[in-house]
Amino acid sequence: MTTAGADLVPATRNALSLLLLSMADDEFVIGFSDSEWTGIAPLLEEDVAMSSLAQDELGHAQALYRLLADVVADGRDADAIAFDRPPEGYYHARLLDHPRGDWAHTIARRFLYDTADAVRLEALANSSFVPLREVVDKVRREERYHVMHVTTWFERLAGSGGEARGRLLDALEQMGPDAGTVLSPLPTELALEMAAIVAAPLAELEARWRASLAPTFARFDLPPLPPTRDPDRARTNHSDAFRWLHGEFTSVRQLDRGATW
Amino acid sequence: MPDEYRQGVLRFVEMHANSELMGVLPEREWILRAPTLRRKLALTAKVQDEVGHAQLLYRVAEDLGKSRGQMIEDLLAGKTKFHNVFHYPTRSWADVGVIAWLVDAAAIVAQQALRDSSYAPYARTMRKICWEESVHIMHGRDVVVTMVNGTQAQRDMVQEALDRWWGPLMQMHGPRSDRARDRDIYWRIKAKTSEELRQEFLSIYVPRVWELGLTLPDPELRRDREDGVWHYSEPDWQELRTVVTNHGPRSQERLAFRRENWADTAWVRAIVLGARGAAA
Repeated sequence: MTTAGADLVPATRNALSLLLLSMADDEFVIGFSDSEWTGIAPLLEEDVAMSSLAQDELGHAQALYRLLADVVADGRDADAIAFDRPPEGYYHARLLDHPRGDWAHTIARRFLYDTADAVRLEALANSSFVPLREVVDKVRREERYHVMHVTTWFERLAGSGGEARGRLLDALEQMGPDAGTVLSPLPTELALEMAAIVAAPLAELEARWRASLAPTFARFDLPPLPPTRDPDRARTNHSDAFRWLHGEFTSVRQLDRGATW
Repeated sequence: MPDEYRQGVLRFVEMHANSELMGVLPEREWILRAPTLRRKLALTAKVQDEVGHAQLLYRVAEDLGKSRGQMIEDLLAGKTKFHNVFHYPTRSWADVGVIAWLVDAAAIVAQQALRDSSYAPYARTMRKICWEESVHIMHGRDVVVTMVNGTQAQRDMVQEALDRWWGPLMQMHGPRSDRARDRDIYWRIKAKTSEELRQEFLSIYVPRVWELGLTLPDPELRRDREDGVWHYSEPDWQELRTVVTNHGPRSQERLAFRRENWADTAWVRAIVLGARGAAA
């Protein structure tokens, strides 16, 4: 096995590992939440679409975990990294700790996540770390359609008035303070910037993302998103909803971690 | 189109669509629990296919004069039926393998014969569905083979699942019927009798099950060397009747779960479908 990033200095490699872990866990957790709709979405057509989105996210998570396994080279494969950690070992953004909720929550979470992720991916499109750049290139081609899909739904709910808009407003109120956690600074990100792995500091990306949402929020007269609550713990202290999800997704594998499934 | 024919096709396709939709639920329970990324992707894609089949089949049925909304309402109200195998609980990850391998195999034996159905829109739809189902069988077999080649506990899990599913599988195609009196055969909506389908299923899959060193819980099961016909203990037809009239071990829970989700998402359909409202 070739070891990606072997020529990086340890501080940069550690920072890169943390970035990959944060991105992979984000995709992994939202992929799981979305797959909860498979079979029970509001319309059959949307059911099929949501399953495709979930599969895309899981595919992205798989590619990122593989890359991470290559970078850390500690003998764990993508599955071991994805499944064999305690809940507190996961490093996804707090936005994704919110449970599936109703359709409006799902749409709000996807909209906030996909738009933030798009800004993050853009900042990695010319990364000096070639294996990541290659993964990002493929991911961006698919995420483009995710943003189109979720924006259609978001605008539909926001513009519908009545119950639909009310539910969306509730979702935004609950998730708003956590929305920015996708782009909250990582403790080691300076090393990433210096090595030209990421094009800009995450704080700058967050500002860019907030500015990009402003016209849509204004057009639909939605209250602006509040600042991020507790940004220093944006990716730790996970919720009970995530602990439940973790219990589910490890339930078969933990029967025998050494077995082949 | 003669009215009897229209009604016959509608009833047949509606039950098929209902079965695809309800068949999603037992496997859906395991999507969150899939033990590797690859299995998770495969199972999500498999269940997605089944939802897609339901959508295609409801469209075929809709053309015959009953709206999708009405068909779903009738299903949820217990007025129409779905296949016996989807009324049973799942207990372990091995069920995911056994369902995708053998339940889908029993289904595909019936579905392949429907590719020549006299109702051409249904026949065309079945060609696409059969192709996808054949991939499901490979996925299911891969899950089973992996576990059979794994630890003793994994092997036991597969055998336990197989023992539980065998009865429903033998009942799945229904009791023997008289070809001359079967109106679905008269109209060529379907081409084969229940017993023909069951014999075909046994001929292909029993040897494959035995090849893996697994056993089937029927001491009478054997193939006659002379005429090639499979002999088996009489399936429990009373159980079949009980189950398909929604008195199976999970019938009411599954219908209640669907009703609850259908009600919870009515507001979404209302904004998308407008005046047609929450119906479809």
